[in-house]
Amino acid sequence: MIVDRCPWYIAGPLLGLMIVGLRALLNKPFGALGGYVDLADNVLTPRRLGFRAFLLLGIVGGGVLYATTLGTFGYSSIGENAAAQAGILLTAGVVMGFGARTAGGCTSGHGMTGMSLGSPASIASSMTFFATAVGLAQLLSWFGGQP
Amino acid sequence: MKTKFAALSFGVGFGFVMAWARLADQHVIRNMLLMREPDVFLLMGSAVFVAAIGARLLRARGARALITGEPVAWNSETPQTRHVVGSVLFGAGWSLAGTCPGPAAAMMGEGRVAGFIVAAGLVAGVVLQGVVARLRTSDSPAPVEISGAAGL
Repeated sequence: MIVDRCPWYIAGPLLGLMIVGLRALLNKPFGALGGYVDLADNVLTPRRLGFRAFLLLGIVGGGVLYATTLGTFGYSSIGENAAAQAGILLTAGVVMGFGARTAGGCTSGHGMTGMSLGSPASIASSMTFFATAVGLAQLLSWFGGQP
Repeated sequence: MKTKFAALSFGVGFGFVMAWARLADQHVIRNMLLMREPDVFLLMGSAVFVAAIGARLLRARGARALITGEPVAWNSETPQTRHVVGSVLFGAGWSLAGTCPGPAAAMMGEGRVAGFIVAAGLVAGVVLQGVVARLRTSDSPAPVEISGAAGL
């Protein structure tokens, strides 16, 4: 059902159109990681927060909007063995943040926006993180360590 | 002000569609990475395809951004070691968490605990990277400014 889950052939082009829209209105790239960088750098002087932070806050708002309309709020705990799970998620977040800022972008910045602009650095980054993520997921599933 | 409102609005659109397409569901991302959900690859591919055509149309028409007035243009970056090293780390974290920076924000909106934990880690990670990068470039006259098509 389309209400339960937006199919790829609608969601993908919609995201693509929004990337174009951001370009048409602001000439800016769409990237979620930049929002975390912006917030980390400027949270003490909120007036200096730029479009990147507002984009990220908007995404949070989009999650709220989805949960109040088509979806549901899930305050669920993170499952059994909560402390270990939380530790893994926190570590994964730190590694992702460090790595993505080093690479200059994440799945949205390099993987979608940079790829669409044909930037060689984004193509190299995307191929690298997809290969790493797919490889590690496979390893984790073989060893049964999937968190 | 207009810029911030526009960014916020596009963010809401993005977050909504990502949540609706279940990209903010860690099981979906794990299944994608295990090649069990090709739909997510098709989703990303079609987004890239549409964005690629749209951006080139705007540039070919010599369009100016409606709010900022800048001519529509972007820089291409040459791959460097940091793109590969950083992306190995990013890919590993992505696989472990089953979510990445955009969907993690949507997860927070949906009230999912995992989203808040990952986001806290992301903030810590970008701060740490900033500190390390500053220490490493403190000898050189100008700090390395990371800016390119991906916008960081």
